[in-house]
Amino acid sequence: MGTNAAPVLVASGLAKSYRLGGVRVDALRGVDLEVRPGEIVAVAGPSGSGKSTLLNLLGTLDDPDQGRVEVDGVDVARLSERGRTLFRRRRLGFVFQSFNLVPVLSALENVEYPLLLDDVPRRVRLERALAMLAAVGLEGRARHRPDQLSGGERQRVAIARALVHRPRLVLADEPTGNLDSAAAAVVVELLERLVSDLGASVVLASHNPAVIGRARRCVHLRDGRVAADGATEPQP
Amino acid sequence: MKLALLGLRNLARNRRRTTISLAIVGAGTVALLLTAGFIRFSFDGLKEAMIHGGLGHLEVASADALAGRQPGALDRSLRHGLADWLELQAELEALPHVEAAAATLQVMGMAALPDGDPVSFIGLGVEPGRERRMGFTVRLVDGNDLDVAPPAEGDDRALLGRGLADALGAQPGDVVTLLALNADGMLNALDVRVAGVVTTGVADLDTRFLKLHLESARRLLQTDLVSNLVVGLDRTEHTAAAKAAVEAIVAGRPQPLIVTGWQERASFYGQVRNLYLGVFAFLGSIVFVLVVLACSNTLVMAVMERMRELGTLRAIGTTGSQLAVMLLSEALWLGVLGGLIGDLAGLGAIALVNALRLKMPPPPGAVSPIDLQLAYVPEAFAGAVALMVVVLALAALAPIAKAVRLRVVEALDHV
Repeated sequence: MGTNAAPVLVASGLAKSYRLGGVRVDALRGVDLEVRPGEIVAVAGPSGSGKSTLLNLLGTLDDPDQGRVEVDGVDVARLSERGRTLFRRRRLGFVFQSFNLVPVLSALENVEYPLLLDDVPRRVRLERALAMLAAVGLEGRARHRPDQLSGGERQRVAIARALVHRPRLVLADEPTGNLDSAAAAVVVELLERLVSDLGASVVLASHNPAVIGRARRCVHLRDGRVAADGATEPQP
Repeated sequence: MKLALLGLRNLARNRRRTTISLAIVGAGTVALLLTAGFIRFSFDGLKEAMIHGGLGHLEVASADALAGRQPGALDRSLRHGLADWLELQAELEALPHVEAAAATLQVMGMAALPDGDPVSFIGLGVEPGRERRMGFTVRLVDGNDLDVAPPAEGDDRALLGRGLADALGAQPGDVVTLLALNADGMLNALDVRVAGVVTTGVADLDTRFLKLHLESARRLLQTDLVSNLVVGLDRTEHTAAAKAAVEAIVAGRPQPLIVTGWQERASFYGQVRNLYLGVFAFLGSIVFVLVVLACSNTLVMAVMERMRELGTLRAIGTTGSQLAVMLLSEALWLGVLGGLIGDLAGLGAIALVNALRLKMPPPPGAVSPIDLQLAYVPEAFAGAVALMVVVLALAALAPIAKAVRLRVVEALDHV
């Protein structure tokens, strides 16, 4: 994607504070971020630097105290609660550290789920879910439930679920945090390839230098502020 | 896979809790079925006891006699008795399902032993043969029942209510003089021998009750009229159809007649029925509330244990209403499955109770203990499942509200 294309994500002046045990914690203190179509941006920083808080605000899961988030040209603050839910369903994809699959559903059904919510016809739903599972190399595990899959396989199912509805932006919070290095490498490579194929953008929070290194750009957070924002060193 | 089916699958994730919930719903269903069976058993027993205790299924009486009176009133004017009733009786007894149409003649007056104090009575002249064909029973305490054959003049006999016999100091074999006003308003007397002492099952009525052969009553009142014709059927279920047929027969008669069903005459049955229903409604509401609370508690636990999962579902685009549908479907499945399990268990429980042949105290209107035989009430089996679905829907309201209101970020961080 060209760098001149309109940004898919514009966040400006984001601030968020919490009360923790009676003490006010400023998780974010004025964060600006722009992500262009096709871009993979790593958000790095030590624990408590505000990575997860930033992803929650970008994903419309939480409201900023100050600042604005615009995704795909939509100012999310203007959306109702239901509007935000539908917005997330159609334009965002989420990958969580703990995979967060529905345990009573098979891999295929987990991937199908976002399409089911949108009343996509069953035949189309199955085709797309199976194609997505094939894309993450799990077509042979479609009928397995999450507890019958390894950690790496679960995260691949989660990636398939995050991408099956062709979102504009994928938010991944520590997607390799619970995986060994080999599985982590597979997951990141998949994520990288698939978002590229689909033309989506990714913002991923991670501690893992190997993961951060695969992103073309890294935003370093420290004490709720952007400490650095630039290109990463290419990984071997 | 639909959200409703996802709800069904969710029941399988914590089998122990689901089993407990199903057991609660099933037990509630069994309780309802046993209660319904007991209600039906009680009502049927009371109904048949009253019908075969002398009420009959239908009554044919003159419209004038019933004007301004309760359907079961025992003090009808003799002047408005049925005329030409023998022909009508024959017509009625030719109808299908009619066992007999027995004439009765109401008598009110005073009774006394020689040198004894007079006691007022409310009497009834009956046709014992027809009453027996209709399955009417007399609860004899002492002595013998009336003979079927009309008594010869001077050989009149009577059955006395237990309280009346006590008040008179009479016993079987004694001669009691009955005094009553005849159709012309003149006082007439008849000596009757006490054939037996009976109970109606109602102590107050026993203090006034007297029964004698129709011929004896006609002699006492010096009339050819009768108060009514009491029609007995082979089965109580045929009452409505038989009433229509009897009404068609009486419609063209010169004397205006009214046909009254047993329900309208049995005000006591209606009162007891309402009392029982009130008691059972109260007990049922307690079962209802207990099941709602117990199930609500387990459903809340189910939501609490799945906070992170519910947060995830909300994060990836499940609306509050979709989440509500999913959780509600879980509850409804519990209601349906628990209700069906309860139906099966209820079948077994009723069969077991009936096999035990437990003795119950006499119901209202009866004097002897009875075998408890719970009824199978088909509509209760369907209704209990429907009720459990409603109960579970109500029980799900609190957990659904909790799940829909949860903050996604907090739910995702829930451990």
